[in-house]
Order: sequence, then structure tokens, then C-alpha cells
Amino acid sequence: MPDPLLYLKAMGVAAIAGAVGGLAIVAAGRKGHAAWLRAACVFSVAAGLVVGYRLLALQLSWPPRNGLERFLWLIAPTILCVELLAAIPALPRWSAWALRVILALVLPRVLLHGSVYLGGTERAWPAWQAFLVIAASGFLLVGLWGLLTVLSRRLPGMFVPCTVQASTLCAGLTVMMAGYIKGGVAALVWAAALLTTILIVATITRNSSRLAEAGWPVLLGVGVVGLFSLVFIGRFFGELSTGNALMILLAPLLGGLAEVPWLKRRRPWFVSSVRSLLVAGVLLTVLILAKRKFDREMAPLLVDARQLTVAPTGWTIGPPRVDQVMRWFGSVA
Amino acid sequence: MRQLFLLGAMALGLGIAVHCGAESCSAADEYDYDLVHSSVSFKARHLDISWIHGRFNEVSGKFSLDRENPAKSTFALTIKTASVDTANKARDAHLRQPDYFDTKQYPTIEFRSTSTKPIKGGYEVTGNFTMHGTTKKITLVLMGGKEHDFKKVKRVAFSTEISVKRSDYGFDKNAIGPIGDAALIMIDCEGVRK
Repeated sequence: MPDPLLYLKAMGVAAIAGAVGGLAIVAAGRKGHAAWLRAACVFSVAAGLVVGYRLLALQLSWPPRNGLERFLWLIAPTILCVELLAAIPALPRWSAWALRVILALVLPRVLLHGSVYLGGTERAWPAWQAFLVIAASGFLLVGLWGLLTVLSRRLPGMFVPCTVQASTLCAGLTVMMAGYIKGGVAALVWAAALLTTILIVATITRNSSRLAEAGWPVLLGVGVVGLFSLVFIGRFFGELSTGNALMILLAPLLGGLAEVPWLKRRRPWFVSSVRSLLVAGVLLTVLILAKRKFDREMAPLLVDARQLTVAPTGWTIGPPRVDQVMRWFGSVA
Repeated sequence: MRQLFLLGAMALGLGIAVHCGAESCSAADEYDYDLVHSSVSFKARHLDISWIHGRFNEVSGKFSLDRENPAKSTFALTIKTASVDTANKARDAHLRQPDYFDTKQYPTIEFRSTSTKPIKGGYEVTGNFTMHGTTKKITLVLMGGKEHDFKKVKRVAFSTEISVKRSDYGFDKNAIGPIGDAALIMIDCEGVRK
């Protein structure tokens, strides 16, 4: 049963724990050192996730039994380790990217492991289709990661990591409204841990663009892998539609549209606003569509059907009234 | 000529022996689960005041009944979790998701017998029950077993109930709220002899 207050608490605690963890590493290390900042980013996200999921009492079994558990037990620690390794100054840049590409290509196979898509008596896909989907998903992640990295170099600052974080938040809410509550909550906590780390990096590096350039790739890597995995799980194990999944994944790239020459020459505040509106517009559209579907299909399962204002076609006429929301909170608290 | 006669007699004897052996092996009747005349349904508590009922529409199975040596009888049942039907499409879609049955990861619920014991009015069948990726040994009391010949097709039927706790089978404890932890699965199974 959904418990919005618990989810908000978990997000808040994840944000606080992330901030404490990240700042502790920064304070313990050498001031202005890029490697320390990268390590701080990794520990900040990790601390936020551990504390947030702990508060949620997220039931995770070992060995992992489903897509979400494989993500949280295997993929999440791996991306954090890869980004931690990438922080080592002696490690060549190409080797860090090689690890990232390998992880991206392996990720879909790991998440689908043991499911009906890959085998068993109820096999849903023939082997060639499974191979195609896994390969296409892997290359989609590589492409997304690469394009966002290029975009973050062209748009310095926290814009690109923030769009990835906003997309993760949107993914969480959409997956949850589609009926997969645990998957959605996992994404919300992930988004909260990411946001607090973005804010730490933005604060620490406000006077040093060189230092900022060291911090953003870590957050981009962790953010993109988290976003992709949670959307992938929502699509193949939950009821997230392919259209919504693609819109959520590709929304952060829309910031690049503001790079077109006729727009780029305009005032910076205008370009920034257009960029933000483009991303926010797509994510809000996804959320509105998800909310309408939720009102139509899921809400009657949570509240007394007579309390809903439903048109003969089954579409909700308007947003829920305050008393309906309060009653709903009362019923789940 | 005499040797040929002896050889023929030996072949005939061997044939009779093989036939008798086959007869003794086929003392157990093999039955297929008849989907049309069977049902697997369940009910779970809602808010601890009432029951929600549902059923699984796609079930398969087979069993062999050895009347002379009941311990040799075997029972197997496979339920497709994606066929869950509670007369509400949205709820069914919700139940298929990872918070509940996780049908993409665990497409079936299965029972495979390991031992059978005759009891008054039926059989006590012990076996492995697998649900949501967790296997536990359970004992079913199958009541029935009466045979019926209808249009030269032999049929036999059994009924049983299984009480399970979802939390014992790895279902998410956080998803156990208004819907109770315990669920009752009711199986009414009619078999058609192969």
C-alpha cells in the first residue's frame, strides 16, 4: 500500500545522509583536489541510497531474485566502483570509458536474467529477439551516456545532471502510478541522493570550473545508469509504456536543442529558460499522462470508487479535490 | 523344422512376457488436467473484514493414479501467474507486477508430488510447492478420486485447499497491507485419461 509520507521521509533522509557523507569525504581530503571530489560524489550517493532504502525497509534478498534487486545489488555498486576507479588520476581516461561501455552493454542482460524474456518454460522471446533487445538497449544506454557527456561539456554547470535527476524523479512517479510501487520508490530515493550530491558539487565548485569539470562526469555516470536501469525495469517488469519510457530517457537530451544557432544568439537567461522548459515540458507531459491513467485504472483500487469524479468514458474530469486527497492520505497513513 | 518351431515358441513366450510386463507397468492410469471442467481459485482477506476472490485461467497438469499401489501415484500442476483474474482488469495488471506475482520473473506456480499416501476418501500427497521463486514442501489432502466413464472417456476428480502465507514465499512484506498475508488456494481438478 502506498505511503507517501514514508516516501517523503526516505527522500529527505537520503538527501541528508548524502550531504553528510559527501561533505565528510570532502573535509577529510585535500581541498580543491579533483580526485577527492569525485570520491566524495560516489560516497555521497552511496550514503544517501543506503540510508534512504534502510528507512524504507526495502526488502532485498540475496542472491537477487528480480530486476530491481539485481540493479540494487549488482549494477548500482558496480557503477559507483567504476566512477570511483575513474577518480584515480593514474588511470587512463580511455580505460574508465571502456569500463563504462562494458557496464552499459552488460546491464540489460543482467536486469533480464532469469526472466521469461530469456528462458524457461514460458519463454516470451525467441533467442534472436532477446539478443536484439539486449543489444539495442545496451547501445541506447551507451549513446545516451555519450551524448549527455558531450552536452554537459557544451553546457557547463549543473544543468545536465539536474535534467537526469529530474528524469529519474519523473521515472519513479510514473512507474509508481503504473502500479509498481517498490520500483517507483527506489527511483525516488535514487533521485533524492543524486540531487543532494549535485547541490554539494555545485556549492563546492562555484569558484572553480576546473574542479566542477571533475565532479559532473561522476554524477552523470551514476545518474544515467540509475535512470536507464529504473526505466528499463519499469518497462520490462512493470507496466511502463515504451513511449513513456523513451520520453523519460530522452528528455535530458532536449537541453541540446537550445544550441541551435538562432536560439543560441539570444540572451543567456532566455536560452536557459527555453532549455529548462523543453525538458520540463516533456517530463510534465509524461507525468500528466501517467496521472490520468492512474486516475482511470488504479485510483479506484485505493479509494472508494464513489469518491472519484469519473466521466462516462472513464476519464477523470478534473484534479482530485482537497478532501479526496486528505481522505486518501488518511486511508494509507 | 523342430528348431524353427522351438524358436517360434520362444518368441511367442517372450512376446507374452513383455505384454504382461507392460500390463503391470500400465496399472497406473495417466490423466491430463481438464481445463474446461476444473478451476484454481483463491481468496485473500481485505482489510481483515472480507474476502477478495480470484482465479487463474491458465492451468495445466497431469497425474497418474495407481489404484493397486497408491504410493506410486504422482501429481503435478502448473499455474500460469499471468492468467490471474479477479474480475477487475486494473487490479489484475497490478497483481502481475513485481510488487505481487512478478509474472515476468516468476511465470508459474507449480506443485510436484514426491510421495502419496491413501487416506479415507482420497489421498494425502506431499510435494514441492513453488511460488514466487520459493519452493516449500507441503502436504495436500486430495479428496475425491471417484472415476466416471462418460462417452468412453474415463474421468477422475479431486478437490483440495492450500493455505499459504505470502510472506513465506518472498512476497514483499511492504505490499501486505489491506490485503492479508494469508491466502487460500482452492483447486478443483478433473482429469481425463490419456
